[in-house]
Parts: sequence; structure tokens; C-alpha cells
Amino acid sequence: MGCPPQDPTRRHTLWPRWLLLASVASASPVVQAQAPNLPISGHVRLQQDDQQPNTTLAAPLPVPTGSATAQTELRASGPAATAVVTLQQRQQGTATQSRAWVNELYATHDGGAWQFSAGKRVVSWDVGYGFRPNDVVQQEQRLGLASSTLEGRPVLVAEHFSADAAWTFAWVNPTGAAQDAAGREPALAARLYQQQGAVDWHGFARVGAYSGASVGAAATWVATDALALHGSVRVLNHSTTQVVLGGNWTAPNQLGVLLETWRDGTAQAGRNSLLRISWTSEGWSPTLDVLYAPADQGRTVTAALAWQGDRVNVQGALRVFGGPAGAAVMQLPVRRQAYVALTWAF
Amino acid sequence: MNLPTLAVQRCRSLALAMFLLGATAAHAQPDAASLLKAADKFRMTAANLQVETQINVINADGTPDKERRYTVFAQAGRRSLVLMRSPAEQGQKVLMLGDDFWLLMPASQRPLRITPMQKLLGDAATGDIATLSWADDYVGQLVGAEPCDAALKSAGNCWHLSLRAVAKGVTYPRIELWLGQARHQPVRADLYVLSDKLAKQARFVTDQPEAPTMVTEMVLTDQVSNHKTTRVRYLNRKERVVPPEWLNPMFLVRNPPLD
Repeated sequence: MGCPPQDPTRRHTLWPRWLLLASVASASPVVQAQAPNLPISGHVRLQQDDQQPNTTLAAPLPVPTGSATAQTELRASGPAATAVVTLQQRQQGTATQSRAWVNELYATHDGGAWQFSAGKRVVSWDVGYGFRPNDVVQQEQRLGLASSTLEGRPVLVAEHFSADAAWTFAWVNPTGAAQDAAGREPALAARLYQQQGAVDWHGFARVGAYSGASVGAAATWVATDALALHGSVRVLNHSTTQVVLGGNWTAPNQLGVLLETWRDGTAQAGRNSLLRISWTSEGWSPTLDVLYAPADQGRTVTAALAWQGDRVNVQGALRVFGGPAGAAVMQLPVRRQAYVALTWAF
Repeated sequence: MNLPTLAVQRCRSLALAMFLLGATAAHAQPDAASLLKAADKFRMTAANLQVETQINVINADGTPDKERRYTVFAQAGRRSLVLMRSPAEQGQKVLMLGDDFWLLMPASQRPLRITPMQKLLGDAATGDIATLSWADDYVGQLVGAEPCDAALKSAGNCWHLSLRAVAKGVTYPRIELWLGQARHQPVRADLYVLSDKLAKQARFVTDQPEAPTMVTEMVLTDQVSNHKTTRVRYLNRKERVVPPEWLNPMFLVRNPPLD
């Protein structure tokens, strides 16, 4: 499901590379000519996590049952630069761990229709919800229990925009090693976007130093006033295919239904389907997700509830893995996961 | 009858004829489309605008509920971009190009193509602040002359227009609108949602009550659920044509400074 998660230990080794990119770009006379005026915003988040180990395994793995996290995210953006930084303190049992990392730090140059950026930046592509095969730059891990701000990748990006079309050229991980895993290998990627009435068209191409070439296409079509359909396909190295099809339907009573099914030729559990039912009323948003793998009948059920106030957001979710003993999700070290979080925006 | 008396009588007859003609002209039924265009000019004071808007929601008991700030780029041809400025919504954007809509959330870094129904059911405030023109989205029918204030018969007469939406994704498919008879400024409106239920009643506040040139505030009273009052204040309007790429959803995910 989705792309492999980024190895957190890489965070420290990558620092000098993207910092170098941002520093070089920021030092350019064009960027320096625009005095940065960076208003700061962000949020403070308190989160309590809990999980129940899977005791049905022959050799159950030790998993931490609970943790409390305090996190502050700072965001500043101006004409020449954008920065997003996270400071975090986590308590697990008696151990306290403090960390800080940069989600994004990149310099930009506004050339009118042409836009350039360099540094560590989130570049998310593709149209799916549960699975996005053409998210070939960011390669975001999908369907996490608690949403969090993404951590960008080192990129050099050139983009051209008109009223209804956009070209994007990205050099991803320019200082990475060729043997690095798919998300971290040096790669060149391109995307074409074209809006045509009720349809958004996307074309993608990527050449990775290690993983080779891939091409893809995607579209979102607003079929009726209440229904939007989307699809995306990617072909890797002329043989392996990833494809996702889905649709969103919204009823006048604010009930929303998302149905998505995908086949990932690169993964063991190749086929998956996602059903999401959501409802919104007076700031409250209950959601029910069911992720189902037809091959082994494994299922992941997630119930979530969120409330959005003026500055405060409260949310919580419970996730349960189920299915036959042989299902892939039943081999995971945890059986249930839950969290509750309070976020204050400033 | 001497000549001076005859002249006075003729002059009186002429004055009476002119008065009757004037009175007839004043009560002639104006064209609904022209009325609607004239009314639009009190909110959409130019074809392309940047409008700073503040919304204050007040509970039924008078206590403040929430405050939101928005920047609206309302452009000719039914194109508008709404930037959310308040901390709780910082970085969110809604792009509306005719009947096509996109939602941009700061965490997702990609535009979400949304259906007219999703836009309609989203934050109602977006529809309330982004729609500054009725003539493009509605067809109007003149109902007739009615009291400007339904409860206060002495408040003078207004033109009553009944508007039906012809565009997709409008927050209110039906609007009953009352306009001043002399200057055609919006005075009040009844706003109906998809189920044809009266959702809100609007009252328009103008800059100069005797000779209004623009609407400075719209006060919306909820008639369905919570009976909250929403004050939509137009803090600043300036004529502005935005670059075409600003209305490209892919450009907006970059979170460019749009000021």
C-alpha cells in the first residue's frame, strides 16, 4: 500500500544536501534583491497515542503501548523563501525524546509565468486518495492514522504556468547516490497539467538513477453536480503497471462517499479497495474508512471524529486490523491503534 | 377669460401633464436584468476587484462565535479566488472558474477538484463572500413594488426581484431580493438553500444611506438551525486584475505570496 516510508535516520544525513541547495539559491542576487518579509504562523499539537499488540502472532513483537507527544510547527513564507519547521517532544513510558526537523526550506524566484525553486520542498502529484502511483517526487506514505505535515525532498524545480496549463520539471535528490532506494535516488521528473472544462488532465514521466523510467497519466472528471471520478495509471520499465480508479459522491445532506480501487504491480498485496464514508455538520466531521484486500480478505477499519473550532481542532481515531489469520494485515505487530489530538493554531 | 388667466391655466395643465408623466415613469416596471446589473455595482464596484473581507459570527445570545478574514479576488467572467487568512484556516484557498471548483489545503500540497455539490455544502461563508455578482449566476423576475421592510410598512417601497440560479454550485439556488427604487441598491434578501428552505435573511448596509454608492456590510441571520448572525464586512476594495497564472490551481499549491 503506497510507497515505502522514509527512513527517519536519513533526516540527519540529508540535511547538508538540501541546506546547500537552499543556501546557494538564497545567495543569488535575484533572491537577495527581494527582502524577505516572512509572517510566521503555525500550530501547537498535543497527541496521545495508544496501540494494542497483536498477540495472535507465533512470536509477538514488543510494541510500545502508548506515547504522548507535544509538537510545535512553525511556518513562514515570503516572496523569496518558505520554511516549515517542527519541534517535537515525545514521552514513551519514562523515556523522553526531543527532536526537531525541517519539513520544508526552499528559495523561490518569481519569473512571471516561469517559477523556480530550490531546496527541501514537498512536491505532491497525482489524483488518488488511498493510492497515488504518479506521486513520483514526494512518494508520500498514504493512509496513515494521524495526519502530519509532510517532509519534503531535496529538489530543483522549474515550472511554467498559463491560465489553464502547467509544466513542471523537477530534479529530485540531485546529490543523492544512484544506489539509494526509490524515494531517495537522484531522478528527473516532469508533469504536464491541462484543465479542459470539467476534466483535469495530467501526464507524468520520471527517470530514476536506480529504478529506471516510468510514464503515467491521470484525470479527474466532474461527471455530475455531485459526482467526481478519477483515475491514474503508471507504467514502470515497460512492464509493471500501477492503476487506481475511484469516485467521490456527495449528497445534499452533507454525506460523502469515496470509493477507490487499485492494483499495484510492485506490491505483494497488489489489489486493494478503499471505502470512505464521511459527514460534516456544525464543525463536526465523523469518518469511517474500510480498506479491503480481496486477495487475502484482510481489512483495516478506521473510525475517526474531528471537531473544528475557531482556533482549536480536536480529533481522534481508532483503527482495527481484521481478517483471516493468514491475511497480511494480521501479521502486523499491532492489532489496534488509537489516538486523540488537540491542535491550537496561531 | 382674459389672456393671463388662460396662460396660467395652460401652464397648470402642462405642469399636471408633466407630473403625471413623471409619476408614470417612476412607477414603470423596470427591466429585471437591468435592475440586477445596477444592484451588482454596489458590491462589485469594478469588473476586477481585490476585496478584504471580515466575517464575525455571533451566537443567538449575542456572544461572539468566530471571526474569519478572507481576501477575495473577484474577476470578470465568473472567476474568483478566495484566500483564507485566519489562523484556523491559514493557507486554505478556494478557486472558482465558472462552474469549475478547486479546494487547496495547505497540508495536501495538491489541488482537490471538487464538485458543485461539495462546494455548495462546504463552508457557507465561502459562497457568501465570493459571490459579489448576481447578474452572472441568476436570472431575475420582477415581482413588483413592495415595502422595503416587511415589518415596517412606512419604510418606503422597494423593487422585489425573484432570482433563480442558472450557474452550478451557487450557495443559494433561489434568492428573493429587494432593491431601492431610486438607486437600485440592495436592501434585503431572503436566501433559500437546495431544499427550497429559507436558510438566511440578509440585510445590506451601505456607505451613505441617503445616496448609497456601495455596500459596506451584509448582515446574515440564520433561519434554520442555530439562529446565528453573520456580519460580512467589506473592509477594503481595490480594482485589481490578477495575472492569469494566479487562477491556475497548480500555481496555487506553491503557496505563493498573493498580496
